[in-house]
Amino acid sequence: MNISVVPAGSGGEAPRPGPAPTGREADAARLVELMARSARGHEDAFAELYDLTSGRVYGTVLRVLRSADHAAEVTQEVYVEVWRQAARYAPEKGSVLGWMTTMAHRRAVDRVRSVSSEVARDERYAVTGADREVDHVWEGVEQRLDVERVRKGMTSLTAIQREALTLAYFGGYTQSQVASLLKLPLGTVKTRIRDGLIGLRDALGVEA
Amino acid sequence: MSEIHGATGSYVLNALDADELEEFEAHLAVCPTCSREVVEFCETAAELSLLASAPPPPALKASVMSAISGVRVLPPDVPADDQTAPVEEAEPQPVAVAAPVDELALRRQRRLTRVLSLAVAAALVVALAQREPPVATSTLETELLNAADVKGYTIELADGGEATFVASKSLGRALFSSGDLPALPADQTYQLWTVAGSLEDPSRVTPDNIVSGGAPAKSWLRGPVAESDALAISVEQAGGSTRPTTIVGATVL
Repeated sequence: MNISVVPAGSGGEAPRPGPAPTGREADAARLVELMARSARGHEDAFAELYDLTSGRVYGTVLRVLRSADHAAEVTQEVYVEVWRQAARYAPEKGSVLGWMTTMAHRRAVDRVRSVSSEVARDERYAVTGADREVDHVWEGVEQRLDVERVRKGMTSLTAIQREALTLAYFGGYTQSQVASLLKLPLGTVKTRIRDGLIGLRDALGVEA
Repeated sequence: MSEIHGATGSYVLNALDADELEEFEAHLAVCPTCSREVVEFCETAAELSLLASAPPPPALKASVMSAISGVRVLPPDVPADDQTAPVEEAEPQPVAVAAPVDELALRRQRRLTRVLSLAVAAALVVALAQREPPVATSTLETELLNAADVKGYTIELADGGEATFVASKSLGRALFSSGDLPALPADQTYQLWTVAGSLEDPSRVTPDNIVSGGAPAKSWLRGPVAESDALAISVEQAGGSTRPTTIVGATVL
């Protein structure tokens, strides 16, 4: 498998004096640079950006859509949009990966919520419930350091927080649908999702 | 209040339905605490995406590269504090100028034509956005701009100034936006309207949101856009009216 996994670092900060940046920081800075070159119309920079990010973008879209055909189509839409918007990316608003995966996730969810696919998904997946969904996420996770970090972060959450996060992010369900799947009040689910993200943020030490 | 603040997580995970989203985005525009949390959560969610990494089909890269070769990179955002940001930036020329000179250019021109309506609407909204949204573009706006029948209508107001409606009848949504609504006396306000039938002889006029003058404004219309034939803006006594008093601008959809 030849996918480059580039973690979202603090992205785009001015170079600091002192030791050379670590791998994560260097990767994030590289993406900012590639984005800036893409903004000036350099297709070669965009090709490299694709190589460094497509595993994350495609994987996220695929996880939500669960259809390789749809995932490829949506992934292409995402990259065309990233290209169009390249000059509008601002490092101070977050990392390149944060920006791209946010866009990818939103597009995937939009696709899922279109009426036809909603029906198909309901039939096939809603009945499998939350446990199945969680298993699904853990399948095939590579034993990489970064994956391990995130996985550990997830295990630091309560079971309900983890399930709520998983259903919303990887399942593409609305908070109301998550509430119904977990048989919890909407307010509780909303709180668990937010608490889960706070817990994960703190566990991962992510800086905005 | 705590109820609405609590939606940051669901917002970042795209887990709000359309009504919840509209409500939360209105809140987000005025709440720095939530904006900050949204930015942080976007980074956290990006880390979460690591768990889903999967190699894309090998052919996808060539397909993506071929798709972008016909698409023009949008110009950078005008800085938010540049109040002189001219509406001219929203004119379609930047998209349409690619003059066909050879077969490749012709092919690109055809692609451009396909993205033209979207690009024009996007440019309109971007040029008119007064506040940088905390995430790249608001979901509702993206949805509107991606609608097949989205159209932008820029109108000159009778009391000076300019305003734009961006509307999609298929989605039943319209966004009003203006960077220079003239100021009004303290006891007056602008009000939006959805209109069925002709503007001269409407069969229905539905009062919509109130908009303040003298400041950049952006407001989703709440009324039945899908069943409307025109949108209008009027000047009313503070608090709004059930019937328009002085229409200062209108557009047929």
